[in-house]
Amino acid sequence: MSRWVRLAARNLRRHARRTFLTGSIVVVGFVAVTMTSGFVSQTFSSLKAATIRGTGGHLRLLDPRAAGKTDDEAAILLLDDWQGLAAIVKKDPRVVQAMPKLSFFGLVAKGEKSAAYIGTGTIPALEKNASLASDTVVSGTFLSNPDADEVMLGSGLARALGAKTGDLVTVMATTPDGALNAVDASVDAVLSYPIKEIDDRLLFLPYAVASKLLRSEGKANTLVVLLKDDADVDATARDLSRSLEAKGRPVVVKTWLETAAFYKQVKLLYIAIFFFMGLVLSTVVILAAANTMTMSVFERTREIGTLLAIGMERGQIRTVFLLEGVLLGVVGSAVGAAASFVLRLILNASGIMLPPPPGGTRGNVLHVDFIPLAYGLGFAIMSLTLLIAAWWPARRAARLNPVEALGHV
Amino acid sequence: MSILEARGLTKTYHVGSEKVVGVSDATLALEAGSFTVLAGPSGSGKTTLLNLLGVLDQPDSGTLLFEGCDVSGFGERARARLRREKLGFVFQAYQLVPVLSAEENVALALWIRGLPEEECASRACMALAAVGLAGLEDRRPDALSGGQRQRVAVARALVGEPVLILADEPTASLDSETSKHLLDLFEELHRARGVAFLFSSHDPRIVERAERRISLQDGRVVADDRAATGARP
Repeated sequence: MSRWVRLAARNLRRHARRTFLTGSIVVVGFVAVTMTSGFVSQTFSSLKAATIRGTGGHLRLLDPRAAGKTDDEAAILLLDDWQGLAAIVKKDPRVVQAMPKLSFFGLVAKGEKSAAYIGTGTIPALEKNASLASDTVVSGTFLSNPDADEVMLGSGLARALGAKTGDLVTVMATTPDGALNAVDASVDAVLSYPIKEIDDRLLFLPYAVASKLLRSEGKANTLVVLLKDDADVDATARDLSRSLEAKGRPVVVKTWLETAAFYKQVKLLYIAIFFFMGLVLSTVVILAAANTMTMSVFERTREIGTLLAIGMERGQIRTVFLLEGVLLGVVGSAVGAAASFVLRLILNASGIMLPPPPGGTRGNVLHVDFIPLAYGLGFAIMSLTLLIAAWWPARRAARLNPVEALGHV
Repeated sequence: MSILEARGLTKTYHVGSEKVVGVSDATLALEAGSFTVLAGPSGSGKTTLLNLLGVLDQPDSGTLLFEGCDVSGFGERARARLRREKLGFVFQAYQLVPVLSAEENVALALWIRGLPEEECASRACMALAAVGLAGLEDRRPDALSGGQRQRVAVARALVGEPVLILADEPTASLDSETSKHLLDLFEELHRARGVAFLFSSHDPRIVERAERRISLQDGRVVADDRAATGARP
C-alpha cells in the first residue's frame, strides 16, 4: 500500500497550487469544527452553571408524595421538618449547603396599585451564596436579615407597582387551608431578572416571613442542595436518596438536569445548529474537493489509459484516486489541528467578553474549550468527506476505456 | 509455435451516424520470438489491430487465441491480467508517469502485480541497465531526453518478462539518430531475449528491419510478406 500512498502524495504535490487551495478548505473546515465545538462546549458550561444557579443548587429534595407527579402537582406538596432533613443532608461531604424554598403566589399591592406575583421564601444568606438572584440586584441591597419583613421585587413587578427600594408593599397570599393572609414588607432590593416573564412576577421574601405568611412554619416545597462539584450530581442524588430512606426520611431527589427543560431545549437547538452548519461545511468541502479531483482525472486521462494498458486493475486505479482524497483530508486535518490549537490560544488570551448565555445574567470571557473528541471527529469527518468527494472522480477514472483514454487529447 | 492467432477480427466504430471500419476480417498468427511490423498508411487500421491483438480493445467479431487459449471472451480482469503478465506496451508518446522516477516508472509494471518493493526495485534497475540507462534511475521523465524516455518505456515493457511487446509508432516522436539507436535496442533485445515484437508503424526504418511485414489498407490485411523484408540475420 505504501507505494500507492507515495504515488498519491506525489500526484498531490504535482499540482501544488490546486492541492493548496483544496487543502485550505479542509483546514478551514477542520478549524471550524473544532473551534465551534470548543465554543459550544463553553456555552453549554455557562448555560449549565446559569441553570444550576437559577435554582440555587444541583439537587432538589421533594416530598415522597411527589414521586411520579408533574412539577405543578408536586409544587403544592410540602416537606415537613426541613431543618432535620437539611441536617442529615449536610453531613455528606460533597454538600455545600441545603436551602429550603417555599413557593407561593398571590397579589402584592402598593397604595392603589396591585399585581400578581410568583414568590419564593428563602434563607437570604444561602440564596445569595447559591443563586443568580444576587447578580441581578439593580437597586438596594440583597436580603440579609432572615427574620425581617423585607422583600425583593423583579424590576418588571416593581415598575407595575410603582415601587422602589425603601417603599412599603403588602404581600398577600392564600394559606394551604385556604385562608387569606398578608404581610407588610419594605422593598429591600429591585432585581433585573434576565427573563422578562419571570422579572414581571418575581418576588423574594425571607423564609421565616414567607412561612409565617403561609402558616407553614418548618415546611418547604423543596430543599435545594448545592454541591461542591458538578460531577458528583448523579452519585450524590443516588446516595442521598438511599441514606435518607434508610433514616426514615424518604424523599424524591431530582437532579438539576431533570428539571431543566430550558437547558435541554437550548442544548438541543445548539446541537441542531451545529449539525446543520457541519452539513453545509461538509457539502462545501465535498464540492470543492470533487471539482479538484475531477479536473485531476481529466488531466491525467492518458496516464490512466497507460496504467490500464500495462495491466493495472480498475480497482487499483480507483484506490490511487481515493488515496489522494483521503491523504488530502488527513494532511489538511493535521494542519487544521495545528491551526486550531494556535487560534484557540490566541482567542483564549484575547479576553473578549461574551454576552450572557440564554437565561444567564453574567457574560463570560471568551474561552474555547479543548475537546479532544472534536479533533478526532474533525479528522474523521474531513477524511470521510474527502473520501466521498474523491469517490465519483475515482470511479470515473477506473471506468475509462483504455483505448479511448490513450487517445485522449 | 504461434503465441498469438487472430481469426477474422473485425472492429467497427460509429462516428456520429457514420459507421467506420477499423479492422475487417483480420487473420494472422505471430510466432514466438518474431519481429513483425504492421505497416500501412495513416487510417489503415494499424493501431486498431494492435489494440485488438494487445487485448486493449474487444473485437465485434472474430477470435483471438493467446498461446492457444481463446481470449476473445475474456472479461475486464482477465484481460488486464493477460496484459500485465504476458504483454508489454510501448507507446508513441512514451506515456511515463511524470511524478515517478525512471526506476519507479519501470517498477510500476511490477507494483501492479503486487511484488515486494525490493524485488520491483532490483528488477527495474536491471531493466534500465538493459536499455542503457544505468545511472539514470532517479531521474524523473522531465529530466530525460525523448530517446531516454522511450528507453524507460521499453524497460517498463520489458521488466515483466513478456512473451510479446507491442509498440505503437515507437519512433514517431524521435529524431533519426535516436530512432536508429532505439531500433538497435529493439533488435538487440529481440535477439538476446527471444521476446517477440509487434510494431505498428509507417516508419520505413522499422519496416526495413522487421522480419515480417503485414500490410494493411482500409482495415484489411492486404499482404503478409516475409521474403520481401530486409530482415537482418
